[in-house]
Amino acid sequence: MFENRAIGLALVLPAAIFAAALFLLPVGILLSEAFQTESGWSVSAYGEFFASPRNQTVFFRTLKLASLVAGVSAVIGYAAAFAIVNLPASSRGRMFGLVTLPLMISPVARTYAWLVILGRTGFVNKILVDLGITETPIRILFTETAVFIGLLQLFLPLMIISLVSAMENMPRDAVPAARILGANWLQVFVRVILPLTREGLVIGGTLVFTGSMTAYITPAILGGSKVLMLETLLYQRVTVANDFVSASVIAMILIVMSFSANLLLKRLATARKSR
Amino acid sequence: MNSRLSTWIILGLTLTFLIGPFLIIIAAALSAGNNLAFPPQGLSLKWFIKVFEVESFRASFGVSIFLAIFGTLAALVLGVPAAYAMTRYRVPGAETVKLIVSSPIIVPGIIVGLALLQYLVIPLGVGIGPALFLAHTALILPYAVRVVSASMENLRVDMEEAALLLGCNRFGAFRRIVLPNIRGGVLAAFILGFVTSFNQVPVSLFLSGPGLRTLPIDMIAYMEINYDPSVAALSALLAFMSVGIVFAAERFIGLSRYV
Amino acid sequence: MSDYVSLKDLTLAYDKTVAVDRLNLDIHKGELIALLGPSGCGKTTTMRAIAGLLTPRSGTVHIDGRDVTRMPPSRREVGLVFQSYALFPHLSVFENVAFGLRLRREPDLKTKVMDGLATVGLTEFADRQPADLSGGQQQRVSLARSLVMHPKVLLLDEPLSNLDARLRLEMRTELQRVQRETGITMVFVTHDQAEALALADRIVLMRNGAIEQIGSAEEIYNAPVSGFAADFMGFETILPGETGGGLAWRPGAVVLGHGPHQGEIRGASFAGERREYVLESAFGTIKADVPVSETRFEIGQQVAFDLPRESAVELARID
Repeated sequence: MFENRAIGLALVLPAAIFAAALFLLPVGILLSEAFQTESGWSVSAYGEFFASPRNQTVFFRTLKLASLVAGVSAVIGYAAAFAIVNLPASSRGRMFGLVTLPLMISPVARTYAWLVILGRTGFVNKILVDLGITETPIRILFTETAVFIGLLQLFLPLMIISLVSAMENMPRDAVPAARILGANWLQVFVRVILPLTREGLVIGGTLVFTGSMTAYITPAILGGSKVLMLETLLYQRVTVANDFVSASVIAMILIVMSFSANLLLKRLATARKSR
Repeated sequence: MNSRLSTWIILGLTLTFLIGPFLIIIAAALSAGNNLAFPPQGLSLKWFIKVFEVESFRASFGVSIFLAIFGTLAALVLGVPAAYAMTRYRVPGAETVKLIVSSPIIVPGIIVGLALLQYLVIPLGVGIGPALFLAHTALILPYAVRVVSASMENLRVDMEEAALLLGCNRFGAFRRIVLPNIRGGVLAAFILGFVTSFNQVPVSLFLSGPGLRTLPIDMIAYMEINYDPSVAALSALLAFMSVGIVFAAERFIGLSRYV
Repeated sequence: MSDYVSLKDLTLAYDKTVAVDRLNLDIHKGELIALLGPSGCGKTTTMRAIAGLLTPRSGTVHIDGRDVTRMPPSRREVGLVFQSYALFPHLSVFENVAFGLRLRREPDLKTKVMDGLATVGLTEFADRQPADLSGGQQQRVSLARSLVMHPKVLLLDEPLSNLDARLRLEMRTELQRVQRETGITMVFVTHDQAEALALADRIVLMRNGAIEQIGSAEEIYNAPVSGFAADFMGFETILPGETGGGLAWRPGAVVLGHGPHQGEIRGASFAGERREYVLESAFGTIKADVPVSETRFEIGQQVAFDLPRESAVELARID
């Protein structure tokens, strides 16, 4: 560790000033929009925003979808992570790579694939019609189901990664030991795996939840204007109605969510380091 | 239950869900028909060729590549000294500085894009292009600082001290000792920044104008009007590009060690 | 020259914690000196101040008559062999040793580097990478890297502590040989009294950021000035004396089997030619060792013992 504080400060300042000027300042002004009214500072914009039934719907839908995606990805994630951890070492790395591969690919491409699968003339409808289950194609696109599927595919890898690394840190013999002591698989999961991987679950859950909360592309492409989420609502309010007050309120909601999630993750990280 | 079998069933289903859609995209892109469909109607490469003939794709690809390369370089120019200072010096207010520098990760991109448009581009007359560049640089900055810091933390400070005692000044020790040993980390940061910038949508959403769009934005705009498989072909190409870059990086520098 | 390296009223601090408080020390040219003390005593901090890696809060550092207090490390002509060796992992052994010479643009680089490697017996390793060497070899490369620069002072941070017993003896001999052949002034930092006693011309015993005692190995070993120094030099039984100072006995000086005092044997272990006992008495815990030829005592046994006045060392202070 070098002592000279002036040099240290001089080296950090360009980055800090850059981020402050380009991020904190403009975003701060945007956030302040909602508090400015003709009669001075007020929080009335928040009341008005939540008074609108449409905004309520969008807000709760966003929370609902984000929680659902986090919950379902936890269930699938545990199964997949447990399977990966129990693979022989040679194929474990390769499988981990395959699971994380989608993260490298453009979310636009990833979401677009679901158009092909879920669209009116898409794969699913073709099967349904060919098998005679329905006469005419059903609507899957522009429903909450479509958005849910898209988000799940987008963020599931994050959950699997978190859970795999949590399971790799589990004492190697914990599961066999519990089995020998007579625990069935449900008991092993609830009493051994779950407590030992809780941290990974929280990390994965937070990443998936905030990722889904703040997703734009997936609800835009798979939900359209029928299934608005907070980000697509923000875009619509600005482009259609020039409504910066609503945009400011939504921005605040998203930032508060995202910031608390980050704080939580940081807490966990420092708690782990100090152990 | 046979645990071997159930392992493979679980992994098979998960992979089908995660990777299957890409295979379908590739198949749809190989269609000879004019509408997006799976299974494809006949086989041809015409949509892959069409992609290169669409003028706006060529332009927006150029914009995206430019942003990804130069935005990342600019982020490294700002981020490497910051990472060095934060791992080597007792910087006053280090926690605050860290929070400021990492804020672009915390604030959702769409908000950043809107804020820049509203309070930088419009009132100050900054062009959309420079604004996009600044936004992408700021967006990559946290990744650059984080990845480079991690590899600097792994480098013992006493190596630099040894260099100082052997006659280097501070900058010389940085150039001769630190830089060569964090090359992998810097390269990893570059690749991560490149991929992040290239795939980024929300930041660029509000920051696009006539003739100046990033590729993902252009793809979204195109698919709102056209229902042909060219976006499928383009998606497939981009997926191959990203995976290729990451695979090569893993192969040559062990990318996953740094990320 | 009596004060080749001279530290005057040196006060060193990290943020608000003062690590070394107004320390004065003169080191002669060609001397091999040990800074000895427990961790946190300020010995490494003092060494770093000599090297220029730490700027003193107050006081001065002179080397060879020059005031180097505000001089950067690069211009002090001081060498340092780090505890971790601090070899540059991206450079070969040859390039590591050549590093400083290249910066100075010295002629006959190759000869000088190979001579340096010959001094530590590693010429055939010139093309290897540091990672391919053992710990002991890395340390010798680090030594050669400093020596080729012909520093005025060579500092060594815990030079023997990372080595196994056999290598330790080898390195000890090596350091003494290098010092004899080059006549270089060496300062090494250690927490191990045996190391300091075996190597150093003079030992600087440090405690809580100040010097407790300076002297030759024999002086400190035989005549510690305080309870702390005595404890560090292997005196296990330290009692207050009648005149205000203290008296200290090594385990071998305690007589077991007869004497005016009574104690109970709490531990006994066999150590080759001697047997070591721990006994509990009115004076507290006392360690004694006696030749195996003498009577053997069992744990739990009450035994008479004596702390002979004539085999005690008198301490000026008991603390």
